[in-house]
Amino acid sequence: MKVTQDVVQGGLFAAIGLAALLMALQYPLGTPGRMGPGFFPVAISALLALTGLAILARSRLNRSEVIRMARWLPIVTVTIAIVVFGFLLDKLGLPLAVMLLCVWAGTASISFELNWKAIAGAVAFSLVCGVLFVTLLGLPIPLVGSWLQALGAP
Amino acid sequence: MDIFSGLLLGLQTASTLTNFAYCFAGVLLGTAVGVLPGLGPIATISMLLPFTFGLPVDTALIMLAGIFYGSQYGGSTTAILMNLPGEASSVVTTLDGHEMAKQGKAGRALAAAAIGSFFAGTVGTMFIVIAAPILAGMALSFGPTEYFSLIVLGLVTSMVLTSGSLLTGFGMVLLGMLLGMIGTDVNSGAARYTFGSVDLLDGLNFVVIATGIFGLGDVLANLENEHSRAATIAKVSSLFPTREDWRRMTGPIIRGTGIGVLLGVLPGAGLLLSSFSAYALEKKLSMHPEQFGKGAIEGVAAPEAANNAAAQTAFIPMLTLGLPGTATMALMIGALVVQGVQPGPNILTEQPALFWGLVVSMWIGNLLLLILNLPLVGMWAKLISVPYKFLFPLICVFTAIGVYSIRNNAFDVYLMALFGVLGYVFRKAGAEPAPLILALILGPMAEEYLRRALLISHGNASVFFTSPVSIGTLLIALVLLVSILLPAFSKVRQAGLQEID
Repeated sequence: MKVTQDVVQGGLFAAIGLAALLMALQYPLGTPGRMGPGFFPVAISALLALTGLAILARSRLNRSEVIRMARWLPIVTVTIAIVVFGFLLDKLGLPLAVMLLCVWAGTASISFELNWKAIAGAVAFSLVCGVLFVTLLGLPIPLVGSWLQALGAP
Repeated sequence: MDIFSGLLLGLQTASTLTNFAYCFAGVLLGTAVGVLPGLGPIATISMLLPFTFGLPVDTALIMLAGIFYGSQYGGSTTAILMNLPGEASSVVTTLDGHEMAKQGKAGRALAAAAIGSFFAGTVGTMFIVIAAPILAGMALSFGPTEYFSLIVLGLVTSMVLTSGSLLTGFGMVLLGMLLGMIGTDVNSGAARYTFGSVDLLDGLNFVVIATGIFGLGDVLANLENEHSRAATIAKVSSLFPTREDWRRMTGPIIRGTGIGVLLGVLPGAGLLLSSFSAYALEKKLSMHPEQFGKGAIEGVAAPEAANNAAAQTAFIPMLTLGLPGTATMALMIGALVVQGVQPGPNILTEQPALFWGLVVSMWIGNLLLLILNLPLVGMWAKLISVPYKFLFPLICVFTAIGVYSIRNNAFDVYLMALFGVLGYVFRKAGAEPAPLILALILGPMAEEYLRRALLISHGNASVFFTSPVSIGTLLIALVLLVSILLPAFSKVRQAGLQEID
């Protein structure tokens, strides 16, 4: 089967709709005059599931575009780099975390080269971010993270 | 409070040195980020939000208004110089704007856009000054029934005016409403769809979702096709419109402003509709319709004026009813809520300095844009030409720091990453995310108003058809829905929206 836009849309809507419907059925439904916390979720998720099924039915007509993936690696790389950044931000401190994210996400580009220029750029940018966000804007993010402090850094 | 004392109060608020400086900084930053290719107003505003967090409320709002206008104008610059529209409503600008740029008239096209936007912004601000208090007064008499119908109209319009099928738009609206339910139910205190996570009890933060889908999702989509991202940038030469240009663009600017002011108030996608209709109108009125699409200055001035006027008047329903009409306005509400301000009919009476300060700083923002952009256009052009391999890591950093700083919570960064991937999937699947974003903020309101309306009527749904305002609103929504199902109109819609793809 070819993966078309309709298949992805319909599948996504139908799956999320059904899952949400199953969960919503556990919430008290109430009556129209006194809607319980389950009333609106049941209605909306049922509609979403139906919409998804309708789009899946439409996909049988084969009128929508076929989806092609050119490269998937950069998408994985950037997503993981950001998740790791979120995890390490308060542990490494802002400048180090920014530097890590810059270089790591940068590897996703086809024209990425690890040379002194890339490193120097990332170092400079992370210092600027540290000054800008922490010193000037006063965001409560540490400059030196908890892990480094535990190691005895100033 | 009458209008003049209101404006005076606004002027006092906006013209303090700090507030003025922050407005200036907002405009500058907004334009600088907004010109970067692929970053539309939504991504720009959400990336720049942390800059407003540490500020007092009025200063933050004023800076936010500056960022908003800067990002709008930055988008037009990219559209003209690079043929890359940052959002749907600047698609029309690319038609003639980029054509002019190719003919070496980029400077004049940019000037036409700036002058048109400034005029439209001025008229739009005046319109807000007059209309907002009236609407706020009317809104006080609106009950939950009327609000619910208005929300339905907004959601229907956003579905009708997106590219792709109606069914897809409907699905995205429902998905957005479902995402909006995550968290603690305000009425019963029940935790819904939280999967046992404490971080989800407060619900999904709107800004996090928007940043993920629009900021990160765009990065992911661009990286997949990175090699094909080679665009040429037109050279900017003489900036000043000729006498001939002035003559040709005066009428279009005035008419475009009129269209934009009226359509911007509509819920849904007034911006998009206004720039398209302003362009279509000028093409009809022009004595040389064959020049349109080949670099007619009218084709830049009119849609830009309409776009900007609509962007301005879109603040009216947002501020007075608390109902955002567009995805960008939904984001602005999200930003206001982060600041602890709840827009609604009472904002005028309870926080007049805030309201009028915002209105006046909108105008100041527009003025700054005119002064700032024309001399600095060379710098913007340089910014556009920064290679993507340097740009996207910076976008990642700014978006990640931005969402982290909302609650100082790493969970929001993970959530943004998740929605970045989702945004990428939506793009691949041809589902435009704007209705989802709008529904995310309107959904919880819809549920609350529906609940209240039915509580008052003891479960009798006929209240929606007995209140005149409610039935009128619902009828408009119905007409919109039926009209796009009719073959004649659906052809027009397809032709109009095709250009966005």
